[in-house]
Amino acid sequence: MSDTMPIEEYLLKGGVLTSPDNVTPRYRGELLRLMASFVDSELAGAAGFADTINDAPGIKERIASAKIVLEKTDHAGRVLEIMGSFGADTDRYAVHHPWGARLTREADIGAARQGGDMRLSVFHYPLQGWIDAVVMNMLMGTAGTIQLRELTHVSYQPLAEVFRAVLPREAHHTELGIEALKRIAENEDGATAAREAIAYWRPRVAASFGLSGSTRYETLARFGLRHTPNETLLSEWQAAVDAQLAALNLN
Amino acid sequence: MARFHSLQVTDVRRETRDAVVVTLAPQDEDRGAFDFTQGQYLTFRRKFDGEELRRSYSICAGRDEGVLRVGIKRVDGGCFSTWANEELRIGDRLEAMPPMGAFFTAIEPEISKSYLGFAGGSGITPVLSIIKTTLAREPRSRFTLVYANRQISSIMFREELEDLKNTYLGRLSILHVLESEAQDIDLFTGRIDADKCAALFKHWIDLKSVDTVFICGPEPMMLTIAAALRDRGMREEQIKFELFASSQPGRARRKSESAVAADRGAACEATVTLDGATRVFKMPKQGQTLLEAALKNSMDAPYACKAGVCSTCRAKVIEGETEMEVNHALEDYEVRQGYVLTCQCYPLSDRVVVSYDQ
Repeated sequence: MSDTMPIEEYLLKGGVLTSPDNVTPRYRGELLRLMASFVDSELAGAAGFADTINDAPGIKERIASAKIVLEKTDHAGRVLEIMGSFGADTDRYAVHHPWGARLTREADIGAARQGGDMRLSVFHYPLQGWIDAVVMNMLMGTAGTIQLRELTHVSYQPLAEVFRAVLPREAHHTELGIEALKRIAENEDGATAAREAIAYWRPRVAASFGLSGSTRYETLARFGLRHTPNETLLSEWQAAVDAQLAALNLN
Repeated sequence: MARFHSLQVTDVRRETRDAVVVTLAPQDEDRGAFDFTQGQYLTFRRKFDGEELRRSYSICAGRDEGVLRVGIKRVDGGCFSTWANEELRIGDRLEAMPPMGAFFTAIEPEISKSYLGFAGGSGITPVLSIIKTTLAREPRSRFTLVYANRQISSIMFREELEDLKNTYLGRLSILHVLESEAQDIDLFTGRIDADKCAALFKHWIDLKSVDTVFICGPEPMMLTIAAALRDRGMREEQIKFELFASSQPGRARRKSESAVAADRGAACEATVTLDGATRVFKMPKQGQTLLEAALKNSMDAPYACKAGVCSTCRAKVIEGETEMEVNHALEDYEVRQGYVLTCQCYPLSDRVVVSYDQ
């Protein structure tokens, strides 16, 4: 066993990188891209949910919405700090897109990013009222938890640590959504509205898992930035959502 | 953005034939900025033959020693480390960024914890800082260090570690593993490989009682130990790594000034490399950035903000002239080496050669 090993081989064998000094240029590019997607999604998600505070039916619900906005923004900040360690101008980055901006409900953009905004495409669609927001939070929160859990294994240690810290808080946001949805589904009008929202959001959240057989995935897997293919994570999510909706009688 | 501060060298001590320990003093107004956490490192910069080099070295002092001190081991062919070992003198000034890094865990003074550290060669530097700080500030905790070196004469901080053992009687145990000198116990001769780890965990170290493991060394050592720990049930959160990468970044080469005749064409021939694959295509000099052209030619080039702010789209211009509209993410140091933000970059010359792989 020699003292040296090329970084590419080290990563293929499950090695971990620990500082901006360790990374190769390609790894750096893909790592930054991955982080930008998380930061943009969290900021856009938080911004969109900010309006929901005023749609909330009660004090507890207002607090829950405010908590989600606060914590998602905080999570974005933590990852943005790591981007900063690679040279990103974090002050400028934090405000370089109008995070609250949305397309229309009817826009059909698939999984495509819009311009230089790296948020997942699902965050380009606007929320419409409390029930719609709760459904979207529950569906996307379940997806987010699965996607985040995958990302806790990234080979860049400082980022893996942030994702590990952030995961339980994000999971709790989803739980808040499920609780609220349970109350909504208790009456007939609520259940109807919920079903409509589910029909709208479910395919859009599914698109956030990316493409099957993705070549980008192959590159990321080589770098230890991804470990489970998009298709597998998507199936996991579909199964989880089916189970949740069945339990709420909303399927 | 990187901010460098001037530090004065107040001591240079030869530690081994190949390593020096450098004590540094920040200026009064910078004292707060250089208040480090155990396990962190400093990034220095210095010009060698007119070209700026940056290198990082870990702080070896404990938090309670009241000094800022790093260990610099000479690397074969290493520009900065050789200079530091041969020419650095008391009274010299060095420029460094404030301490960085996350190679530490929170100190909890009331709790009794058991730590395990693996250090390979100069990897001892941050681990030493962690040991000193932890033993001083967590009076009920214990630390076991496995320290791998070529031979006795290359062990950095050998005496200092012995002194620590005596100061913290019973709380620090050290297992030296020497590659090329036979010791009394066969276990401690050779390299830390899978078999050695297995033997260590079977006879010498009770992993079940260990709370946190710190590992600092080159790639093969990191992989071997990480695998051995995971196989025995250690969770990812319990293992902290600091990679001392063995690949040399090399001398920073200034982008060569190309002596070309005036480039007047309206179009440019661009050669772009990504993941080892190279595409050559024509692109206009106006109205389309390098990034846009690459994407249009089916290259999955990395990008995010498209606003010159995040540096995801960074690539190196190897030949030709380009111009960036806006740059908020690259330092002069990077631009001098030929790096550009491709989302902001337009070709000026008739031919450009760009790589995302360098």
